Amino acid sequence: MTAEIRNSELPSEPGADRKRKILIVEDEFVNREILSAMLASEYEVIPVGSGADAEEALRRQFGEISLVLLDLNLPDRHGLDILRELKDDPRTSKIPVIVLTSDKEAEVECLNVGAIDFIPKPYPIPKVVQARVRRTIELSEDRDLIRYTERDHLTGLYTREYFYRYAAQYDVYNRDVQTDALVLDVNHFQMINERFGKQYADGVLVRIARAIVSAVGASGGIACRRSADMFLVYCPHLLDYQAFLDGIVTAACGEDKGRIRIRLGVCAGADKSVEMQTRFDRAKIAADTVRGSFTDCVAFYDNAMHEKEIYAERLLDEFQAAIDGKQFSVYFQPKFDVRPEKPILSGAEALVRWIHPELGVISPGVFIPLFENNGLIRMLDHYVWQETVERIGEWKRKFGCTVPVSVNVSRVDMLDPDLVETLVDLIRGGGLEFSDLHLEITETAYTEDARQIISTVNRLRETGFVIEMDDFGSGYSSLNMIATLPIDVLKLDMAFIRNVFRENGNLRMLKVIVEIAETLSVPMIAEGVEKEEQLNALREMGCAMVQGYYFSPPLPPGEFEKHIREWLPQGREKE
Amino acid sequence: MLTVEKLRAFGANVEEGLQRCVGNETLYLALVKKAIRDPAYDQLREAAEKKDLDRGFEIAHALKGVTANLSLTPLCDLISGITELFRHKTDADYVPIAAAIIAKRDELTALDN
Repeated sequence: MTAEIRNSELPSEPGADRKRKILIVEDEFVNREILSAMLASEYEVIPVGSGADAEEALRRQFGEISLVLLDLNLPDRHGLDILRELKDDPRTSKIPVIVLTSDKEAEVECLNVGAIDFIPKPYPIPKVVQARVRRTIELSEDRDLIRYTERDHLTGLYTREYFYRYAAQYDVYNRDVQTDALVLDVNHFQMINERFGKQYADGVLVRIARAIVSAVGASGGIACRRSADMFLVYCPHLLDYQAFLDGIVTAACGEDKGRIRIRLGVCAGADKSVEMQTRFDRAKIAADTVRGSFTDCVAFYDNAMHEKEIYAERLLDEFQAAIDGKQFSVYFQPKFDVRPEKPILSGAEALVRWIHPELGVISPGVFIPLFENNGLIRMLDHYVWQETVERIGEWKRKFGCTVPVSVNVSRVDMLDPDLVETLVDLIRGGGLEFSDLHLEITETAYTEDARQIISTVNRLRETGFVIEMDDFGSGYSSLNMIATLPIDVLKLDMAFIRNVFRENGNLRMLKVIVEIAETLSVPMIAEGVEKEEQLNALREMGCAMVQGYYFSPPLPPGEFEKHIREWLPQGREKE
Repeated sequence: MLTVEKLRAFGANVEEGLQRCVGNETLYLALVKKAIRDPAYDQLREAAEKKDLDRGFEIAHALKGVTANLSLTPLCDLISGITELFRHKTDADYVPIAAAIIAKRDELTALDN
């Protein structure tokens, strides 16, 4: 399981002008000549008469020899010893060996040591010998090809496709054994790669693979490298998974204890009627629940996760019907300019709610991540944009003024080459100005696909859209980003605001950000403001705009209109 | 000169031997000539004289393989007999048996003259 596979181990396919090579080790000249005569038309024959000559030929050409025909009684050595050495050496262990013998007693021992077949003496007719040789080479090459494709080249573990097949095969022969599906995921592997280099990172993966094999191999467990830094293990139930993981982490770290953290998800003893892949999906779900934790690194798939999974599947299944049946409602959370004594309504953020006929109101925190994972988010975003444009147009007509509304633009939308055109069509179709619709792009999008995102953002800004950077402070924010990225408005992350006020001391950090935004003339909106003291502190620092439950939760369009009437100075209904 | 006809008359299964040599008569006859000049026959006699059963088995076993592959049946049958005696370390007088083998081999050698 641990043997590393190198390209050189795959026999090169002989071209039209190249024959496969067969080494004939037989001390009797006559016998050697007869075999050579039988095989010479199809193969390049290398006849040798002693063990020493055989070793020399193998040493020189081990990568090229397709088959060894081995006599047992050689003048200098016994054929069995040569066979043993061939099979013990990783360079030659894959070369098939046919033993030339009529000694029945030797046959069993030869098979045990690794011979693949026998040719008796006197030799059978040439056709029989040729057929055996041909078949042996074919089988061996097929096996090499399988081995080459079934193993991950770096770690020697199974590749995913073969792993699932072998796992299913394991079940066939071990129906009554409680078998667990495990997922091991290295936390922040990309960082290890970047900080310590690919060679070091590869070494970590190889050490993890070896540690897994040594932990579960003896009990019949099998393992695969699922992706760059994720391993799957299918093994008989272990009693102490924390100890198992500790062993793997210690082996993976080598000298650098503490540098590598691995999370382990276990789907323990699942009903064998559950599809193999599903069991590993569940182990992965469990593993991801401890993604950020420093203390708990092992998680078991349990009933609560199962319920959540079923719920998620239901939401995904019903997505299209919900779009068609207009179950998604767009709510509007007002944004206020808090610089004047009496805050002024300055805009809103469009937020989607799923009003499910049976499940009631479903929070976007539940369904947005689901849709983000499979691309449905694009369809939902388009739906929200369309609804929002219609609302803005309606209010424009009704109140004779504009309330700019920001909508979320997901990362996948940003990768859509037609995004700008789509938005332009939408604005034109609704009879709006580009500045009426603000676009919120999450901060992490800027860090992930920076170049493409920035170029798309530039095109959107040139068209006239206002770009708000969403969730600032939630990811890898740097102040440098504010200065270099093309943005019009900075939205401070809700959780960031909460943390700042919870920890009291960090108000200075917030102050610095507000000041820098001011220096760069980038207006800032603070999200998630819930309390008066938060509002006062933000105001004092010079934060211009505020959004949050302190003023209003997200409201259905009808409710939001009340705010327009109340706060907008010119908000008078047209006749 | 050795011919397949002479070999057939000697009792060799020429068709079978030739077939193993992929029908190549020249090769077959050359290999027979090589086989009957094998110094192992003298070594077999020495082993018989010394009653060195292990060495005798080794030599006889090898000769049996060669003569069987060439289908030199009358010679091969004699060699098979002594091989089994050596294998089972039978307490026998090996000298006349080895002599009979060498005489049979000499018959073949005579065919080449």
